[in-house]
Amino acid sequence: MPPLEVVLQQAFNGLMLGVMYALVAVGFTLFFGVLDVIHFSHGDIFMLGAFTGLSLTFLWVAVGLGSPAVALPLTFLGAILATGLIGVLTGRGCVKPLAKAPPLMTLLATLSLGLVIREAVLIFYPRGADPKPFPALLPQGLFEVGGVVIRYENLIILAIGGAAMVLVDLIIKRTRIGASIRAVAQDAEAAQMMGVDLDRTVDFTFFLGAGLAAVAGILNGLYYSEIHFIMGIMAGVIGFSAAAVGGLGNVYGAILGGFLFGVLQTLAAAFIPRGSEFRDVVAFAVVMIFMVLKPTGILGEKPIERV
Amino acid sequence: MTQVLAVWAVELVLFALVVAALLAERPLALGATIGGIAALAVIARTSARLWAWVTAAFRAHRAAALVGAAVLALALPFFLRASPYWTFVATLALVYVTIGQGLNLQIGTTGVINLAGAAFAGLGGYTVGLLTVGLGVTPWLAFLIGPLVAVVVGALLFVPILKVRGHYLALVTIAFGFIFNILMNNLEFTGGPQGIKNIPTLRLFGYAFTTAPELFGMKLPYHANFYFAALAMAALVTWLTWRLYNSWTGLTLNTVRDDEIAAKCSGVSVARYKLLAFSIGNFSIGLGGAFYAVMVGFVSPPDFDFGYSLVMVSIIILGGLDSIPGIVLGASLLIPLPERFRFLHEYRLLLYGAAIVLMLLFRPRGLWPATVRRYGLREPAASFAPEGGRR
Amino acid sequence: MSLFATRALTVRFGGLTAVDQVDLRLEEGETLGLIGPNGSGKTTFFNAVTGLVPATGEALFRGGPLQGLEPNAICQRGIARTFQTSRLCLGQSVFDNVLIGMHTRVRTGVWDALFRRRRVLAEVRGALAEAAHLLSLFNAELVERGFEPVGALPHIDRRRVEICRALAAHPRLLLLDEPSAGMNPEETLELMKDLQIVRGEMPGLSVIIIEHDMFVIEGVSHRVVAFNYGRKIAEGTFAEVARNEEVREAYLGRAAEAGEAAPAFPPGR
Repeated sequence: MPPLEVVLQQAFNGLMLGVMYALVAVGFTLFFGVLDVIHFSHGDIFMLGAFTGLSLTFLWVAVGLGSPAVALPLTFLGAILATGLIGVLTGRGCVKPLAKAPPLMTLLATLSLGLVIREAVLIFYPRGADPKPFPALLPQGLFEVGGVVIRYENLIILAIGGAAMVLVDLIIKRTRIGASIRAVAQDAEAAQMMGVDLDRTVDFTFFLGAGLAAVAGILNGLYYSEIHFIMGIMAGVIGFSAAAVGGLGNVYGAILGGFLFGVLQTLAAAFIPRGSEFRDVVAFAVVMIFMVLKPTGILGEKPIERV
Repeated sequence: MTQVLAVWAVELVLFALVVAALLAERPLALGATIGGIAALAVIARTSARLWAWVTAAFRAHRAAALVGAAVLALALPFFLRASPYWTFVATLALVYVTIGQGLNLQIGTTGVINLAGAAFAGLGGYTVGLLTVGLGVTPWLAFLIGPLVAVVVGALLFVPILKVRGHYLALVTIAFGFIFNILMNNLEFTGGPQGIKNIPTLRLFGYAFTTAPELFGMKLPYHANFYFAALAMAALVTWLTWRLYNSWTGLTLNTVRDDEIAAKCSGVSVARYKLLAFSIGNFSIGLGGAFYAVMVGFVSPPDFDFGYSLVMVSIIILGGLDSIPGIVLGASLLIPLPERFRFLHEYRLLLYGAAIVLMLLFRPRGLWPATVRRYGLREPAASFAPEGGRR
Repeated sequence: MSLFATRALTVRFGGLTAVDQVDLRLEEGETLGLIGPNGSGKTTFFNAVTGLVPATGEALFRGGPLQGLEPNAICQRGIARTFQTSRLCLGQSVFDNVLIGMHTRVRTGVWDALFRRRRVLAEVRGALAEAAHLLSLFNAELVERGFEPVGALPHIDRRRVEICRALAAHPRLLLLDEPSAGMNPEETLELMKDLQIVRGEMPGLSVIIIEHDMFVIEGVSHRVVAFNYGRKIAEGTFAEVARNEEVREAYLGRAAEAGEAAPAFPPGR
């Protein structure tokens, strides 16, 4: 049994990973809740958000706004806006037209859209095949608590991630558009009859989901100090798995699922022999087992079919 | 009789265009060929009567059309004999036809979403590699065991999962695909990132498939051996899939796809039929993978990654979900085309993805859509009517 | 012993009791009309009988219990049904939609499909002839359009195809769920004649029919049962049930009691 500090250290690292998974998972669960679709390209939107953020950091430096205190919030803001808009476009171009078609179509279409996004970055971003270093915009330095090393960066990442989740929760619970989201998620027809503008709600959902993914992408870049065009595949699969494990349609479930996977993967990588190579296998095996035992998730999926 | 001749003439013209398109080197020749194909397409579209006449002729003389197509397919390597590369590509297309029929049975016919096609092909391929190189089993036997491994693994892992909803199944198959890839990459006995090399080739009565054959006084590249074998394999698999589709099994699978509840209340054991489609499909997929291993002589993890699963799915969508001829068309288009337009090679996956999205948005039923099941019967519907009846 | 009987059949969804201790009995050759306002549990009752939702209590068919059986096993025992929203496979042919009903009676399997095609074709031809026969009972034109996709047919013909699918299973008990839903008066009249034809063609067939259109209920039922809030509130001939106070109240509300001008009951004609 490894010493407590090591376990705690890894658990803390797991939280870091979990925050990012959770943000992506919330997007998946929102899309499912509002539109009954699995937006398979969401992971690649996450990657796109990271690359957008990276490009923006170059921009700020070029226009003389390179200081971290300024660049960081601007990067987030810019990436959220840009990625959010792209999210809305994917929703309008790819998901909404297939709303009436069998779910298989949407699944395959969004999956392929993800491929297109991925390949586009590979081809069109300069030397897209290589991992790209991400600037260290967060204050360096660390402190120790009971043998566990805590870097200021990581605290801030957790804080930003947490703040994003709280913000989403507030939006969904306290704003009008949030109420429309909840209404449409429950019953789209009834919501429309009560005057909810379905198109606007759908657009906003895509914006919100993509924006969250952008935040997660930038956080990912800050944490690992690099980004890679294939980072979306894993994030997408695990994000979807986290949302599914937590219960599709349930935002808290998605967050829970995200942290679960983050901690699980990190602990597995640290404590299983050759764990770092197999940590994805562990995650996937968990997914498969979970889908067999309780496909509707920990907190329950919203029911769909009537007889 | 004129109809039969017309059918053969059309097939011959298409064949000539295809061969010319593949082989034409000089830009002028290439441009002329593409122009010819485009012209045909335009004629077919604008002259509805001609199109109708031709399709009616094909429908009326299915046997003659198949014979004609078979003859041309057998003749292809002779026209391609100057290019081992194109013979190889043609063979690869046939492998994808084999895989495609299996995957289509799962996704298109039964609605079982399998996004791990490449992994199941890999199970077939790696089994062949492990058995022949590792245990010295003869290639033919390994070739038969490979698909069985794909079936067994699929059945064991997926029996509990087949009853969950579509998108969960998709997720699980994606997860499985990645697990397979990571395991092949990291386990000792599978050769790691290098894979398994020097897989022995097939031998028929002492004749090794790596020997360049000489037929009718013409010397063909040795790839032609694999071409003929693949042609037989693809034809057999397509034929059997057609029989399965045009039987009670096909009807039941379609109903399971369209409405599980109606199927259940009509007495169908939905779980059993999903497993059936999944298993039969995996056999074909594994068969394709096993053939690939023998044809190329080595297997490695990147040969069977998620990207290839998406290529397989794009073939099905392009050709037509649940459409057996569509698979043949889809594979014939999607495999050679990127090779032909080499400058597009970098954009290959991007174009595959874009093609799927566009097809799903605008032509979801594919280029050769599935038609209503007729069980291969010629009789019109009214011929089944009893005498009398109401109104 | 009755062909079909339920004792205290109950279906609960969380806190809601959709079907509440229902006792029912049906003899061979009998047609039972099942009426009641929307949400009174009639379709849920069907779903419980056909094994689509879990239920407590007892349901007996031909002497054997139905509880715990999967829907496909229940169909094999001899119960077939139609659905409120016709569950047809719209992209498939008319014939195919009827043929699937014969699934429990098909003898050839995968092996035959692959290697003994002649047997399969012989069976298919026989099945197509039987499907054509069933369809022609209602409308000969349906046979001519047998190889067309069923989605191309008008609403009433689709209902007929669905009924043929259920009949193709050679059931002993047929459950019809609001067959006249979405039909205008002429079509409803046709439907009623169709049901009478079915009765004539298969006199031993027992039927439970859920309907809102009282004209149809009156025309085809031997007995009528009324539901409200998941409970059986009345049973008897159509006239008896129509006169029943609780039934009138369930449909029309307390206004009937207070003597206010109430809409005519039974509704429909």
